[in-house]
Amino acid sequence: MAQKTTDEITFDQDHSDQNHDGIDRRGFLKCMAWAGTGALCVIQGGVLKSYSLSNPFAMKRHARGELSFIQISDSHMGFNKPANPDVVATLKAAVDKINALPVVPEFMLHTGDISHLSKSEEFDNVDQILKSARPQKVFFVPGEHDVLNDDGKQYRERYAKNIKGDGWYSFDMKGVHFIGLVNVMNLKPGGLGTLGSEQMEWLEKDVKHLSKSTPVVVFAHIPLWAVYPEWGWGTADSAQALAYLKRFGSVTVLNGHIHQTMQKVEGNVTFHTATSTAFPQPKPGAAPSPGPMKVPAEQLRALLGVTDVNYVRGHHPLAVTDSTLE
Amino acid sequence: MKKNSWVYSIAACLLLIVVVLTESRGALAGSPEANPPGIAITIDNFSFTPPAVTVKAGTQITWTNRDDIPHTVVSSDNAFKSKALDTDDKFSFTPTKPGTYNYFCSLHPKMTARVVVE
Repeated sequence: MAQKTTDEITFDQDHSDQNHDGIDRRGFLKCMAWAGTGALCVIQGGVLKSYSLSNPFAMKRHARGELSFIQISDSHMGFNKPANPDVVATLKAAVDKINALPVVPEFMLHTGDISHLSKSEEFDNVDQILKSARPQKVFFVPGEHDVLNDDGKQYRERYAKNIKGDGWYSFDMKGVHFIGLVNVMNLKPGGLGTLGSEQMEWLEKDVKHLSKSTPVVVFAHIPLWAVYPEWGWGTADSAQALAYLKRFGSVTVLNGHIHQTMQKVEGNVTFHTATSTAFPQPKPGAAPSPGPMKVPAEQLRALLGVTDVNYVRGHHPLAVTDSTLE
Repeated sequence: MKKNSWVYSIAACLLLIVVVLTESRGALAGSPEANPPGIAITIDNFSFTPPAVTVKAGTQITWTNRDDIPHTVVSSDNAFKSKALDTDDKFSFTPTKPGTYNYFCSLHPKMTARVVVE
């Protein structure tokens, strides 16, 4: 089926274009895909760009950058309901896409919901499948499905063994500072994702001594911006975390959880959410609940990789290169 | 013969009374099988239905998850807490103390509901 190769992004006309580049940094932009296979992230000149792996350009062109890595998310191993009875096959398809890239990415980030029910065989299965990916190193953060019934004990034993707290950490790669945050623990009635005061203190210290020109990439499961609080798609104390990152010239926030791609640019911060490798979820408010969205079986694979871009506010369409490989 | 059957009837009634009394004591102590007409709450579309119920102490409450996504049933004061319930999994709790029990799904905390025990 025909694939879109460019994305249309809309910006709110009411907001100012401070950089005179046609892009309103304070505006709200959003592009959506039902389900994809992963995202290729390339850091060029300290600015991160992400490309959908379903985009044919991502497969054909050489991604030139100082650092490239992959984000995959929400593999939900163990899920077997009508929305996708074979999540093994779709995760393997994602790995095939990654392996077909002309340049081997440096590493992979998995932004949570590795498993569906926190069962050890589900984690084993994902680990096994990811071993066949050419990038050998994988960094994880937990989703709420990975910490069921044991407050995340098994998750930490597997993926965060020598790490303090609930499994938050940071690392540096080619001059880029990466921060993995945990926002799926100790959720409060009626609330959203939570980082908590202990993690917040750690974060403040973690970035304190970095120079402001250091590119920062933050990754966590639940979006760190209010995508749709009515469905719990946001993190209650994310504003405080982002305040610690305000002084940096380039901050990129990568999340999963909502099983569709969205982007937002606010000041120096670019937010991206990744698609799931397992099943699509409805657009915010487009269904009675955010449960798995069932599409006809023959359409599931076809929908993987279709990028659909929506206007959020305003009427001013703008093509940007953030989401396609130009 | 007739006299004997009267005796048997009275004995049977007494036995029944004893059984009923024992069962109500069991209910006070929180025995789950003591009160047959329990109440059912379903989880559909990320919602508890009905969202608020009022029950007598000793009534068994059973939650059934009918979503394609796991949910939990956790009271705010930790009076009850289920494991993750996959599709069609059930969780039961029999409150013994009167009061208001607010509960939620710890995976999707926007899902909140209430049990009032009289």
